[in-house]
Amino acid sequence: MEEKMLYHVSGAPFIRAKTDTQRIMLDVLIALLPAFCVAVWQFGAAAIIRVAVSVIACVFFEFAYRKLMKKNSTIHDLSACVTGVLLVFCMPAGVPLFVVIIGDFLAIVLVKQLYGGIGKNFLNPALAGRAFMLAGYAGLMTTWAVPSALKTVVDGTTMATPLTYLKAGEALPEYFNLMDMFIGKVPGCIGEISTAALLLGFLYLLVRKVISWRIPVTFVGTVAVLTLIFGKSGYGNVEWMLFNLCSGGLMLGAVFMATDYCTSPVTPKGQLIFGVGCGLLTVLIRYFGGYPEGVSYAILIMNLLVWAIDKATPQRQFGISAQELKAAKQAAKAEKKAAKEAQA
Amino acid sequence: MPFKYYGGVHPDEMKQPDLATSFIAQPPQVVIPLQMHIGAPCQPLVKVGDHVTMGQKIGDNDAPLCAPIHASVSGTVVAIEPRRHCVVGDLVPSIVIENDGLDTPCTDLAPLTPEQLKDPDAILDRIREGGVVGMGGAMFPTAFKIQGGRGKVDTLIINGAECEPYLNGDHRTMLEHPEELLKGIELVRIAQGVDTAYYGIEENKQDAIDLLNSLNPAQYGVVIVPEKVKYPQGAEKMQVKANTNREVKPGGLPSGVGCNVVSTFTCWSVYRACYEGRPLIERVLSVGGTAIKPANVMVRFGTPLQFIIDQLGGFTRPIDRVVLGGPMMGFASFDQSCGLIKGISGLLCFTEDENRDVENPTCIRCGKCIEVCPMKLQPIHMYMYTLKKDFDNMAKFHVTDCFECGSCTYNCPGRLPLTPTFKMGKAMIKAREFELKAKAEAEAAKKEAEK
Repeated sequence: MEEKMLYHVSGAPFIRAKTDTQRIMLDVLIALLPAFCVAVWQFGAAAIIRVAVSVIACVFFEFAYRKLMKKNSTIHDLSACVTGVLLVFCMPAGVPLFVVIIGDFLAIVLVKQLYGGIGKNFLNPALAGRAFMLAGYAGLMTTWAVPSALKTVVDGTTMATPLTYLKAGEALPEYFNLMDMFIGKVPGCIGEISTAALLLGFLYLLVRKVISWRIPVTFVGTVAVLTLIFGKSGYGNVEWMLFNLCSGGLMLGAVFMATDYCTSPVTPKGQLIFGVGCGLLTVLIRYFGGYPEGVSYAILIMNLLVWAIDKATPQRQFGISAQELKAAKQAAKAEKKAAKEAQA
Repeated sequence: MPFKYYGGVHPDEMKQPDLATSFIAQPPQVVIPLQMHIGAPCQPLVKVGDHVTMGQKIGDNDAPLCAPIHASVSGTVVAIEPRRHCVVGDLVPSIVIENDGLDTPCTDLAPLTPEQLKDPDAILDRIREGGVVGMGGAMFPTAFKIQGGRGKVDTLIINGAECEPYLNGDHRTMLEHPEELLKGIELVRIAQGVDTAYYGIEENKQDAIDLLNSLNPAQYGVVIVPEKVKYPQGAEKMQVKANTNREVKPGGLPSGVGCNVVSTFTCWSVYRACYEGRPLIERVLSVGGTAIKPANVMVRFGTPLQFIIDQLGGFTRPIDRVVLGGPMMGFASFDQSCGLIKGISGLLCFTEDENRDVENPTCIRCGKCIEVCPMKLQPIHMYMYTLKKDFDNMAKFHVTDCFECGSCTYNCPGRLPLTPTFKMGKAMIKAREFELKAKAEAEAAKKEAEK
């Protein structure tokens, strides 16, 4: 009898897919690898050091917080590593290490762990950390190191990004051409400079089914359509659109930040709305806002709407046709109205 | 061309369709529960000490929703007492028969005459008397299903998807008894009173599809429909959608949209009951998992699980879980002395290797559960509200419409126990409804008394 009790009894299903949280986070790290390689190519050891410090700091803060609060350790799920990489990816290569570490602390402890850790936070930790740092150290966070590809053409150690020129409506200097912006031979945040590398990461995530196409495609698509329609004086419309797509943190944001599971809608329809909203806000900020870059704030604002979007876009159940759903909604409305009138 | 449906997952198949159905020695004793179907439990028709023959009816009930039970071996009834039921887990009245090893056949059911084989009512009566139930796992009395569908059902669908990993019973039946199977389908079709039966088979059984097609299924009124390999293709609602593009309403039955779904092994059992006069007393059981040598064996009902395992050489590695049925919708066994019942299609012996559960399941809000739910529900929200016992929101997110296919749980990277929670939630809702009803009745009675 005793041996029988040793059997493990639980509810079906008894098999699980191989992919677990750790594997998903590992896939995200792998997808970030091409962008990291470009960063090392353009910024050298500065990029390696900052990424390493950020990852170690994030993992340490997560470990220390969970230990202090006597909660189970969650560092093995690698989500802290992802936060560490993403946070430093949206900082300039020359940023002092203390800024990185403070950002890590705010991201992991304030934004993520205080709300219960992975799956519970409502703001993207990396983006929120960056937003705090941008507010606190505006100067340090907008001082751009010269990438190695431009060392021969630019004097000094810092320079303006293409986005600064675009914001001002000035013509881009000759050394910024579209191809270089696509490949990543431009100044900017550590991980955002190469559109090509980020797209490679996007493809990997799609193939591995870590993310769906919905948020990145609607996000970038909205930005593309709006910039193509509205253009800007001094630029051709198509040229202006392509510059917008290849500059700033758009690709990094659309592929890696907006698709953060925890801070994006779970319903397919909601994901479409979320992507369009992010694109719309990005364009609005780029056109009318005070900062040249609008991606991070656009995503943070949409993060706050996730709960409402999820509620507003329920799945239509199997066996219920669109007409039936509409009829049911109208019936419910009429009933409410009748009840109100009866009260009055 | 079959129609598509939303969601679904692709677990590793782990099937062993090349292993021919083998036979094991008969057990010295069988334990046959008097409840091997959905509906009213049977009343024993024999007494302790009676001698029974193989196939003799030993339990029945006059209730409409019931299927009789037959002795699976010949021998002496040694006990009629509560024994543990391998799925329900409770003690259920069971008949214990000491096997005399002779398999003396019972002659109560004669093969149907050629005229009777064309008479829908004669076939229906034989399906009931043969104790045939849905062999896919639901164990719904087949005669009741067919009768209930008369007048409503215009499309008969035979389920040959066998989408659960590890299971090969239907596949083996198609390969080993293709003609009998087609004849069985024809009988069900005649009993149902329709002209065509659509036989949905997943494309991973191409050899069976080819074999059945080579036998001219049209002469039996059967059309073979090859279907995409996707779990849960074999779920009733998915079969209806794939074959007819009709969607069963939430809470409804396939007959509500004019369809009836009957499984492969059920049809073969119908053939045996009608053509051979053999009631349902055995089935093909797929044995698999890393802790045992895989096999497809024909097993009599009531055979103790431990006996089957021993006959196949016992566990080859330290056992973690014994699963009855498929790995997606089956049941964990906790007592291997239980007898096999009609709806169990697999006996899976898993080691720790197959167990991917974790100590602290955590939702990361990835939404993968929503992407795979064939009922287009939102498991993430259903889970949240079920744990909170928020009955209003449980209703709003349709917890009761989950048919427990397990796709969300299979796919969950955070390893949440989604499906078990929904099972619990459904039971909670039922209990609450019962409670509220009792309360309302008590209040009404009180008011009545006050008057």
